[in-house]
Amino acid sequence: MTVMVKHPLVSVVDDDESVRESLPDLLRELGYSARAFSSAAEFLASDCVAETRCLILDIAMPGMTGPDLQQELTVRGQEIPIVFITAQADETVRPRSLEQGAVECLFKPFSDVALFEALNAVFRVS
Amino acid sequence: MNADRQIRREIADCGRSSEQRIGLLPQRLREPRNNAAAEDRTATWMGIGIAEIGAMVGGQIRQGHPLPVVLATLCQLFDATVKGYSSSILLLDRTGARVRNAAGPGMPASYMKQFEGSQVRWNEIAPGLRLHEVSPILSLTGEPLGIFAVYQRESNSDLPRCHAALMAQFTHVASAVIERMRSDEALKRSAELLERTQQFSSTCCFSWRVGTDEISSTKELRQLFELDADDVPVTFELIGARMHPEDISSFHKMIERAKSGVNDFEYEHRLRLPENSVKYLRVVAHRTRHQEGPLEYIGAVQDVTHRRHAEEALAKSRDELARAARVTSLGVLTAAIAHEVNQPLAGIVTNASTCRRMLAVDPPDVEGARETARRTIRDAERASEIVRRLRALFCKKGATSESLDLNEATREVVALSLSELERNKMIVRTELAAELPSVHGDRVQLQQVILNLLLNASDAMSSVDDRPRQLMVRTERDEKDCVRLSVRDTGVGFDPQAVDRLFDAFYTTKSSGMGIGLSVSRSIIESHRGRLWATRNDGPGVTFSFSIPCGPQDVTTGVNSARSANAEERHPRSL
Repeated sequence: MTVMVKHPLVSVVDDDESVRESLPDLLRELGYSARAFSSAAEFLASDCVAETRCLILDIAMPGMTGPDLQQELTVRGQEIPIVFITAQADETVRPRSLEQGAVECLFKPFSDVALFEALNAVFRVS
Repeated sequence: MNADRQIRREIADCGRSSEQRIGLLPQRLREPRNNAAAEDRTATWMGIGIAEIGAMVGGQIRQGHPLPVVLATLCQLFDATVKGYSSSILLLDRTGARVRNAAGPGMPASYMKQFEGSQVRWNEIAPGLRLHEVSPILSLTGEPLGIFAVYQRESNSDLPRCHAALMAQFTHVASAVIERMRSDEALKRSAELLERTQQFSSTCCFSWRVGTDEISSTKELRQLFELDADDVPVTFELIGARMHPEDISSFHKMIERAKSGVNDFEYEHRLRLPENSVKYLRVVAHRTRHQEGPLEYIGAVQDVTHRRHAEEALAKSRDELARAARVTSLGVLTAAIAHEVNQPLAGIVTNASTCRRMLAVDPPDVEGARETARRTIRDAERASEIVRRLRALFCKKGATSESLDLNEATREVVALSLSELERNKMIVRTELAAELPSVHGDRVQLQQVILNLLLNASDAMSSVDDRPRQLMVRTERDEKDCVRLSVRDTGVGFDPQAVDRLFDAFYTTKSSGMGIGLSVSRSIIESHRGRLWATRNDGPGVTFSFSIPCGPQDVTTGVNSARSANAEERHPRSL
């Protein structure tokens, strides 16, 4: 896939296949470049880390979790704006995520509008 | 010898009544019979009669003098009677080996002192005294109680020998005195033991003569019933006035049953006391009928208020715990289901959103839209697959089928729920048919149905106060090789128009409860190829019955749905 400068790269990290399949298409429709990774390790091992302008990150994943990856990136000095997504309808998750530096936290299933607004917030910030 | 027996009886009986032997009533003193003295003149020796000796020591016993004092009096009487002689009585302990008390008022104190606590020995004689005669004091059964010894003062050594008959008579009186006083002591100890046991176990004893309704009791019984007057006899009328209004009818029934001559009865009731406090009492009684005597119950009343309160607190916290556990597990379960289902839902929403956007552009990306629509359908199928799997998960333990005895299964459930039912004042009766053929099915499921019917019946009667809350569980053979179990209550019944909806899920007439108990019960019974139905009684209340075929057959798979609904009903009270 060719990544153009005017389409900032949004990387999706989620162990759920239907999210990995569907979300990049929607992101592209919204005007972003998109890549999907099935685990945090896969993302870290890829050549996309430096290029990624926004990370859409699942919280609960086997192995390294979303927050683990967030911490790892901080340690590496590669701070990428993060939008957490989660299937766990736990009201305490969102404030905790925001407190720890995430731009947004979306509960699955989320609408395209909610995603659009979260991305707007990310790119306004950056 | 007649005189001896008479004196023994006189000493043994003086001051005692039969009530005192049981240790229940305060001592009722009786005047000694004096006619014995007149008859016993034949035993007179040097001016004093054996009956008079008995009367004198008997008087001391009645006045409560201790044994050494009474024995010393006996020695003094001997010494006064037989000039020139001194006597002593050495009292042996129960082993017969050691001297426990020594009485010898006419003997030098230093001489008597040597005996205290020692083994019996005679080698040290006081100066100026000579051991003249020794006679063992034996009980009626021949056990050694003591020793009666007579000494002669050396200055009087020319006196004739002491009369053997007199020795024998004094020895005999001493024996009677010792036996009487030892039995008094044992009686006193037993009474003390009884009193202390009553105190620390909050129990008191009573006896009830059925014919005359005469109730004998200790003062503790008055305290237990908080009866003020000490002099008025305890009567059922007085007790009835203290009885909690809800327990009065069963209290009278208990009396009726006892009067009809049951062997034992055991009963628990409440008292309503002046400050409006409630006391729980447990009564146990045993019938005794002495030969030719009147019918009498001897029993105990125990204050079990503290235990009851503790049990109630325990039941309450158990209920709360069960409720909390159910809510918690329900929350955990909901979260797990939500997580599983939200994943494909996220895919569906995202794909559908993308699809719409692809179709909205000009020109529309039809190929892309078709692909996202395909994925939407696939994710929806995935979601429904997850729901199906979740249901399968809860039904993992499919119904088991085993040969089982419905009577036994019923007995277990009744035994488990009996305390709860009785606490709610239900009168539970079971009529289980003998030789009921066994049925095939899932024991736990059938027991859940029975428990559900029992608790429903109990709930239906919880507001009934104008008639007995009777719960009858019956098993019997039904037609077509079936067995039937029915639970009959005297509760509030149900609206005839509601009969069709009774077994619908979420239909409930109760403020608490989800209304799935009967629905689940019916599913379970139907999976056993049986049926569950309700009929209104001729009198008040309802009878719920189920009938299932006997003989081997498997529980159908349909029971799984029942089981999954039941998985959340761990706490049967709110079914």
